[in-house]
Amino acid sequence: MHRHPVFAHPPAVLSRAIGFALIWLILVGPDSASWIVGGPFIIAATLASLTLSEPRDRSLSLSSLAGFVPYFLRESLRGGLDVAARVMLPRLRVRPGHQRYRVRLQSPQARLVFIDTISLLPGTLSADLRGDLATVHALDIETDVVEDLTALEQRVADLFGETLAPVSDRTTAQRSPADGAPTREPPGLPEDRP
Amino acid sequence: MDPVQLLSGAFLLVGAFFFIAGTVGLIRLPDRFSRLHALTKADNVGLGFIVLGLMPLTPDLFYGLKLVLVWLLVVIAGATGAHLIAKRALRGDGEDVL
Repeated sequence: MHRHPVFAHPPAVLSRAIGFALIWLILVGPDSASWIVGGPFIIAATLASLTLSEPRDRSLSLSSLAGFVPYFLRESLRGGLDVAARVMLPRLRVRPGHQRYRVRLQSPQARLVFIDTISLLPGTLSADLRGDLATVHALDIETDVVEDLTALEQRVADLFGETLAPVSDRTTAQRSPADGAPTREPPGLPEDRP
Repeated sequence: MDPVQLLSGAFLLVGAFFFIAGTVGLIRLPDRFSRLHALTKADNVGLGFIVLGLMPLTPDLFYGLKLVLVWLLVVIAGATGAHLIAKRALRGDGEDVL
């Protein structure tokens, strides 16, 4: 029998409602009258989130999160410094290109975190995800993105309590444009048109 | 001027530097994807330092938490937006995979 998610997953409902209540508290401050407006919206937000994102049995690993946050901040800073150094120097140090990476994470949430974090890592930007194959844009085509992405993927997997399938052909690192060749985009990667 | 204000001012200047770097990147970089690099990363770090610089000047805890929340939402929105723009630039068609 199909049950409404509110009754099927009480812990998820509770934790999400508490989360939305905390956000409301941060936004508005400790004003008891504000809950007249906030209360209904917290209920609405909880119901909407249950519909939009099915609750799962596994939950986030807090110990991994404690490790992930400093890693994320450090890599963000490195990424910012890297971009700043590339564009502020008189000679622009970029050789942009695309590379492919095979994603092994399973759940949509984990993939979302992975894809969003790629863009904040030094030198990489997640451009596309088709099936398991992510297209990553690199500011410098010489950088080997696979190693960084594998490390990041492992961290995200820990975060969501996933085990990554053994590596078979993760290095699908097609690089384009080819080194030294005149910059002609291969088919399927349209260059930006005016 | 007390040291807290000096530190806060230094953080604000560092944040401003990253925003300027992002803007310079937007102007100088050759293609759409590279410009997205500059915007997402510089905004993330720049706004982070601005929030860090404003933190000692906040009147109460809620104000500080609100600033962190703003940073978090901007980072998520920036990274997601960059991904969507890059995806559309790459494809020009199709449905969302995620």
